Amino acid sequence: MTRAVRGILALAAATGGWGCDAGSTGGTEMPAAGTAADFVLTDTQGQPYDFLQETRGSVTMLFFGFTNCPDVCPVHMANLAAVLDQLPSRISRQVTVVFVTVDPERDTPERMREWLDGFDRSFVGLTGDPERVRDIQLGLGLPPAMVRKDEQGTADVGHASHVMVFSKDRDRRWVYPFGTRQGDWARDIPMLVEGTPPAQSEEL
Amino acid sequence: MRWWCSAQTVAWDWTWRPYIGVWILLALMAATYLWLSRAGAADLDSDAAGADLSSDNRRGWLFWLGLFLLWVALDWPLGALGGGYLASAHMLQFLLVGLVAPLLLELGLPASFFDRLARRPIALRVVRFLTHPLMALAIFNTVLVITHHPRVVDAWMSTQLGSFGIDALWFLAGAIFWWPVVCPVPARARFPDLARMGYLFGNTIIAGFLALILVFADLPVYGIYELAPPTGWLTSREDQQIAGMLMKVGGALILWTVMSVIFFRWYRRENPEGEVATAGPPPSHVEARS
Repeated sequence: MTRAVRGILALAAATGGWGCDAGSTGGTEMPAAGTAADFVLTDTQGQPYDFLQETRGSVTMLFFGFTNCPDVCPVHMANLAAVLDQLPSRISRQVTVVFVTVDPERDTPERMREWLDGFDRSFVGLTGDPERVRDIQLGLGLPPAMVRKDEQGTADVGHASHVMVFSKDRDRRWVYPFGTRQGDWARDIPMLVEGTPPAQSEEL
Repeated sequence: MRWWCSAQTVAWDWTWRPYIGVWILLALMAATYLWLSRAGAADLDSDAAGADLSSDNRRGWLFWLGLFLLWVALDWPLGALGGGYLASAHMLQFLLVGLVAPLLLELGLPASFFDRLARRPIALRVVRFLTHPLMALAIFNTVLVITHHPRVVDAWMSTQLGSFGIDALWFLAGAIFWWPVVCPVPARARFPDLARMGYLFGNTIIAGFLALILVFADLPVYGIYELAPPTGWLTSREDQQIAGMLMKVGGALILWTVMSVIFFRWYRRENPEGEVATAGPPPSHVEARS
């Protein structure tokens, strides 16, 4: 299909309210993380990953989740991967997505790598001591994840559903709740990369 | 227990779940059909009525097939998947509930239904008004656009009542849409074959445009399916593209099949020698009663 026809369809879709309903959800700015974002965990290659140093100069999406998550985690990862795949490479290559497991017992580095590769091979997977991961979440102002096991040993994991976004210089950060759609990311990621503050959401 | 399929925040699994509202609705439709059929048999007092009853028996399977497809579309698993997990399943539901089932159910209606309708002047007047081809085309396409609008889908599919409302609108609009094609309204001039084909073709235009939007949109249009717990089979964009293809190809296939049937019947009528040579099927209910 020619670009002109696609343009006509896009215009008609937008004017008729048939486009992706972007604008409904946005990030909420939080105070700068300070030293809370200064942590070292282990990546899926088994190597130490210094978060501040490794992500310097890129807009960083930090998410705490687990690979057996049936809903929030795969939706966030899939939406970020889909949008980064569509954005121009000059934008997407300035974005780093970091996934920290809150269920390290089941999320082995191999398991995490396989799961993340299903979305985007550039996504970083980190694991670490549960107490350390808990402290990092608390330091960043996120409710720490809770892992409960029933009598059969089945784990029930509760965790924050927000994606925390850091500016390139780490001076600013935002949280994006579950419900953030691909259209919201497609609108905000270029602004974040270019240093323009995205529109604020009213509440978390 | 949930009475109708709608979006849920729980992960998809293959555990069977009953939807009692679907069963009650289908049971009521089946009971009404049986009552109409028996009432028609009770009225049997002439050779003409006997011919009608015989014709009813031949067409009865179409009604039951339509009811079966309605059940497939609305109950678990397709109903549940379309209710809140996959846009493609939702579109398949639309094709079945809004196009295929109403067509089959109307084709399978007993003659006594039309006799009873003909004896009720007010009901007949309402039916005639709603099923005028231009009105039917307008109603069906208005329902098509509204019930596939992202804001309507996202808002309505999140509740059982809203989801039921969308299914009910599809079915009623489908029933109105097919009426001028397959059912005679007594005392109205028969809808000419060529006009019927034009009517059906006219119905492919708006649906085709909506389908293109779904296929070529860069981003997911429906939030409810984009943010649904993943089934693991498709990305949200692939799912939406399949939904668009289903609307375009599936919808066109149904309409063009009916158009072909009308065309070949019209051709046989215009070429009586060919009709004798090919010994086609008996005249349809429409023709028998017009």
